Amino acid sequence: MVLCTWNGARWLPSLLASLRDQQRPPDELIVQDDCSDDATVDLVDAFAPGAGFPVRLERNRVRLGSTQNFGVALARARGEVVALADQDDLWYPAKLARVAEEFAADPTVTMVFSDADLIAEDDRRLGQRLWSTRMVGRGLNSNSVVTVRDFARRPLTTGCTMAVRRRAIEAALPLPRQLDHPEAPLRHDRWLSLVAASVGTVRAVPDPLLGFRVHATQETGVLVDGERGRAFVRAARHLAGGRSTSEEHEVRAVQLEVAADRADALGDFESARAVREVVAHHRHRAAVSRGQTSLVAVAAEARHGRYGTDHFALAAVAADVVRATRRG
Amino acid sequence: MTRLHRIRVLMCTDSLAVGGAERVAVDLANTLDRDRHDVTFCATRAGGPLGALLSADVEALVLGRAATWDLPKLVRFAGWVREREIDIIHTHGRGTMRFVTLARALGRIRSRHVFHDHYNWLHVDRRAGPALARPLQAVDAYLGVDSRLCAWARDTAGVDPGRIHLVRSGVDLTRFASVRPTDLRREIGAADDAVLLVMVGNLRPQKDHPTLFRALHLLTPEERDRIRVAVIGSTSVDPDYHAGCVAMIDRLEVGDVVHLLGSRDDAPALIAGADAGLATSKNETGPLVVLEYMAGGLPFLATDTGEIAHAVRDLGVGWVTPPRDAGALAAALRELLALSPEARRRMGRRARAEVAAHFDQRDVTRRVEGHYRAVLGLGGDVEGDSQPRALAL
Repeated sequence: MVLCTWNGARWLPSLLASLRDQQRPPDELIVQDDCSDDATVDLVDAFAPGAGFPVRLERNRVRLGSTQNFGVALARARGEVVALADQDDLWYPAKLARVAEEFAADPTVTMVFSDADLIAEDDRRLGQRLWSTRMVGRGLNSNSVVTVRDFARRPLTTGCTMAVRRRAIEAALPLPRQLDHPEAPLRHDRWLSLVAASVGTVRAVPDPLLGFRVHATQETGVLVDGERGRAFVRAARHLAGGRSTSEEHEVRAVQLEVAADRADALGDFESARAVREVVAHHRHRAAVSRGQTSLVAVAAEARHGRYGTDHFALAAVAADVVRATRRG
Repeated sequence: MTRLHRIRVLMCTDSLAVGGAERVAVDLANTLDRDRHDVTFCATRAGGPLGALLSADVEALVLGRAATWDLPKLVRFAGWVREREIDIIHTHGRGTMRFVTLARALGRIRSRHVFHDHYNWLHVDRRAGPALARPLQAVDAYLGVDSRLCAWARDTAGVDPGRIHLVRSGVDLTRFASVRPTDLRREIGAADDAVLLVMVGNLRPQKDHPTLFRALHLLTPEERDRIRVAVIGSTSVDPDYHAGCVAMIDRLEVGDVVHLLGSRDDAPALIAGADAGLATSKNETGPLVVLEYMAGGLPFLATDTGEIAHAVRDLGVGWVTPPRDAGALAAALRELLALSPEARRRMGRRARAEVAAHFDQRDVTRRVEGHYRAVLGLGGDVEGDSQPRALAL
């Protein structure tokens, strides 16, 4: 298991206790601390002797940020399967056992991720699931295998729900520097998902295997209750209001091109081809954002299904139609 | 109940092209006990080279349907079936299964329906929408060639567990008896002391040739000098994949080791001319070719991807490595290199004995015949393969 920490003292004890209570305990816990200045490191040090499994804590000399910190931690992990943990979550006792079962049952599986219950700051369950609040539940529930094309289109999972087989980790490391772009970062979990789907099968487990904590300071956001409506309004304004997203699309195209190159180098030509189709789509959308593409081109892109087929796709087509019409 | 006539079986595939499912259908058609069965064959879409391998006593029809809802073809098919009073329609391939289910649902035929599932894409598509699940639920017996398929049929497609049976594929040993080996060594210019591996399978992504190239690249130059690989299979199935493979062979500088020989129709003779067989697929429900290597008296190196690989992994007659793991495959190649020629041959002989004991097509066919009898209510002695590792999925 790898756990990346940064000033996580508030919820870390709950997480660590939940790791100790796993029915199938981890073989090792790699903790990579990213220059915390609270009690995080002391808490890990105090936890280690009674953990029941080796805890290997290392502190970065300079702050790396979440993605690169995970890159360092993953490089230190030695397990055949590596599960990722966030410092603020709560793992249910069966999580590791269930994940291990999935890997054991099918050697082609390179990554397993699950749904999660949303929990409040006081550990209370909020009655909602992670997948549904991110609006990806319908797709994941209908097909429990997720392809590289799906991951190239949009992020479908978050690190703390994931476990990855060693050969996918080896293929994913080192994390490319292009991931850390300030305008459009591509996080470690999406990169790992892309690579894992390239080099094997990614299984989505619909059961909630952990509590995903919703709080103001988390890096991975979810849309709960009224926030969802407000986020839609913000997104609509952002997209239709003409504010340029062209750079974001260009950046994403470059990042995905790196993923395609890596797939090519490993001989995953099919995956590379699928990712490059999404790269071309991002370049199309960048051109739309710059006002360089006609309505006809948007219609053609939509007709060929390159926007996808879900409600995100519908919103994207609508926004691009507005932009292309405005250009006309 | 006494049966007055032999069981009339119609074996149905989409086509007679070269492929695992089609091969199983042809082998079954050829080996069903003729004292108890009359056998006919229908390729519902197109013919193909495997048609030539059908026994002379098997009447064959190539229907040429264009879709599941090809009603004129469906009417013709139903008439053909009724005329021959077919008792059992044994389908291979989901398109043909749906076609037959539709014909039964429309009341055009009353034959019992046994579906043999060879689906190879469970690793990317596990959906079972109504258009697939309902026809599956209507079959009288579901024979899955892989335990993961059986688990999927039960848990996702909602097939009655009592109708689901694991039936591992077998190999027709007669095809490998008294074969005159092809002189592969001379054909590719390999030294007498080189270890000659054969990899049979069309060049398409599923077969994952790149992992082999990467594994060869991981060997030392001295080790590579001692290995030659003859890759047998069509290079025109996926031209982009073929081009990618050629570029990779060049980039990894393994061109002296790997010989792409293209499509050949003398697989048993090619296998007999090699020292070991390779199957590096990234996903399979079989792979059948491993049984063919064993039947040809070769030790094998295969990836742990399907039911057959799982079943033979612990027999000590080959190496099974994780799929897509070039390092593990390179390690297996080193172990193969470390064997003396006599030790290799001994392993191959044991492989042949194991395949004859456990994977003889005739035994598989007897089990299938038991399923026919059970479906017809004739007191079938249904023998399943042992129920499997992955039902916990």
